[in-house]
Amino acid sequence: MIAFVLQRFIQGQIDQRLDAQIVFLTSMLTADHHGNIRLVGDADGPPFDTRQQGWYWKISGPENVLRSRSLDGADLDPPDVNGRPPPPPPDPLRSEKLPSDTRPAPADGIGPLDQLLHFRIQSVNVEGLSVTIATSAPRSAVQKPLKEAMLTLGASLGILAIALVFAMLLQVKLGLRPLRHLRQAVAEIRSGQRERLPDGQPLEVQPLVDELNALLVQNATNLERARRHVSNLAHGLKTPLATLSLALPKASGDNNSLHSLVTVMDRRIRHHLGRARSAATSGPVRARTLVASRARDLVLVLAKVNAEKPIKIIDELPADLVVACEPQDVDEMLGNVLENAFRWSHTKVAIGASIQGRDVLVVVEDDGPGLSPDQMLKAIQAGQRLDESAPGFGFGLSITRELAELYSGSVDLGKSALGGLRVSLRLPRGEPLVEVLDSGERRPAPTRAD
Amino acid sequence: MKILLVEDDHMLAHEIAQALRNENFAVDVASNGEDGQHLGDTEPYDAAVLDLGLPKVPGVEVLRAWRKNGRQLPVLILTARDGWTDKVDGFKAGADDYLTKPFRVEELVMRLRAVVRRAAGHATPKITCRSLTLDVQTGLFEFNGLPLKLTALEWRVLECLIMRKETVVERGLLAEKVYEGDAGTDSNSLEVIIARLRRKIGKDAIETERGRGYKLSAIPG
Repeated sequence: MIAFVLQRFIQGQIDQRLDAQIVFLTSMLTADHHGNIRLVGDADGPPFDTRQQGWYWKISGPENVLRSRSLDGADLDPPDVNGRPPPPPPDPLRSEKLPSDTRPAPADGIGPLDQLLHFRIQSVNVEGLSVTIATSAPRSAVQKPLKEAMLTLGASLGILAIALVFAMLLQVKLGLRPLRHLRQAVAEIRSGQRERLPDGQPLEVQPLVDELNALLVQNATNLERARRHVSNLAHGLKTPLATLSLALPKASGDNNSLHSLVTVMDRRIRHHLGRARSAATSGPVRARTLVASRARDLVLVLAKVNAEKPIKIIDELPADLVVACEPQDVDEMLGNVLENAFRWSHTKVAIGASIQGRDVLVVVEDDGPGLSPDQMLKAIQAGQRLDESAPGFGFGLSITRELAELYSGSVDLGKSALGGLRVSLRLPRGEPLVEVLDSGERRPAPTRAD
Repeated sequence: MKILLVEDDHMLAHEIAQALRNENFAVDVASNGEDGQHLGDTEPYDAAVLDLGLPKVPGVEVLRAWRKNGRQLPVLILTARDGWTDKVDGFKAGADDYLTKPFRVEELVMRLRAVVRRAAGHATPKITCRSLTLDVQTGLFEFNGLPLKLTALEWRVLECLIMRKETVVERGLLAEKVYEGDAGTDSNSLEVIIARLRRKIGKDAIETERGRGYKLSAIPG
């Protein structure tokens, strides 16, 4: 398409030049009374002065023929335009005034050196004589610039195309960069490393970020409400149950079976409340809890309660281990395990923790009587209570196991080197991103700005 | 022995108070944190049973306020929520022991006696003064190796005296320890109780410090 337009353009230029030459030649043409034609002055201006380049002219009069010097003596044989469809039939009115064709006719032919030539041929009337003027230009004069132009054009278009592709890729890359950051941020929220998406996003993304943040806040609010409900439910159920338990001795002679009913109710409530509370927790696990600080608080409580027993605490907790669990749940799990250890130990309770792949393994040991393999199995089964005479025993371990499993963790029982029971609590490891203070507040760790 | 019970649930408070009175304890009941804090600040209780889930002022705040005001009475906290976190908070505020609802009366009484004994600085569960012995863990008195039968008021007086043996217990303090908040203090009846006790454990077992109070002494004076 572009080539066609260009060709037309170049052709037009050449035609103009040839036509100008025809007009020029016509203007210099005179004839004597013998009917011989001749030129007045030099008609071989450039490019008709260059020999054998294809730029020729020839004037055929009735008696003689004039040729351009560029022909260098050779003859030019312009094709016969009479046989071709003639130029538009002359207007009868105008033909009288202008007997010759107003426009030269185009034609293609072959030059003396077998050059492909482009002709413009016109018949003119010179002092009553019919004269045919043919001018020619080499076809290469059309083709060569066209080829050059097409080559340049093609190269530029190619470069432009490549540049456009790169620009597009760059635009996509740059344009989608905020989305990529956003994806990263969402992933961090999911893994619990951050609580909300950062503000200051590009204009197009900011509304989305605002909506997402609002959603997160709503989620957190719902979660908090669910927790509060569950907590209130626990309070609401436990208090009358406690009242019932205290009222029982007076009510019936068959105290033990009634008391065990209260125990069963308590167990069911604890079991289901634990589940409900943890279900309210599940969602993005963003909790980070320092094992050591929670465990030490619990040990302080238990040491004070068991002040009568001279129990030595072997504390081998690394200070910086973090688990990805809610502080309350960590308290619950460790509290039950430690309470058990304190109750049964004679002189020693050991607590340690280590990193095991993506988990943290917390190990609590005592030098008490320990459990047989059969008892161990029973101890961590839901609702099983090993010994009614020691309240809480076994039951606490099953609660711990249930909570741990909700965090994809586990509880294993074994024999301790100290002689008693060894409880291994496996919990998912949390990144030490935020420091969880004793009060449960969180603040960013100084090492990494959030 | 006089106990302050801070519990908002009236039925539970009633049952606990009843159970403790059956064990000869004098019990004052406060049904909210404000009253509880005020009573604990002003009256000389031997121990307090404090529910953490209180309306108005939370139990932990009550406890914190007592400790801030220098009240060292032993405190046993009740938690309804399975809260080890609550327990930790309670202990940080100065609690001495905990019980999770529901609990048995025997458990509560045992724990209460233990915290009181520890607070009084007695290492062993038995306190002896001449031929009189109190097993703090069971709350039973023995006289000459035989169980001593006492009324609730007699028990409270004798318990108060033996916990502070060798020191003069002022009449006012003794009355406060023996009578519950809403009962009118009648010093005459205190005299009557002392007289009855002297009949049971010997005339010179309880010395009268004129104008001050009474003393249980190991050395016959």
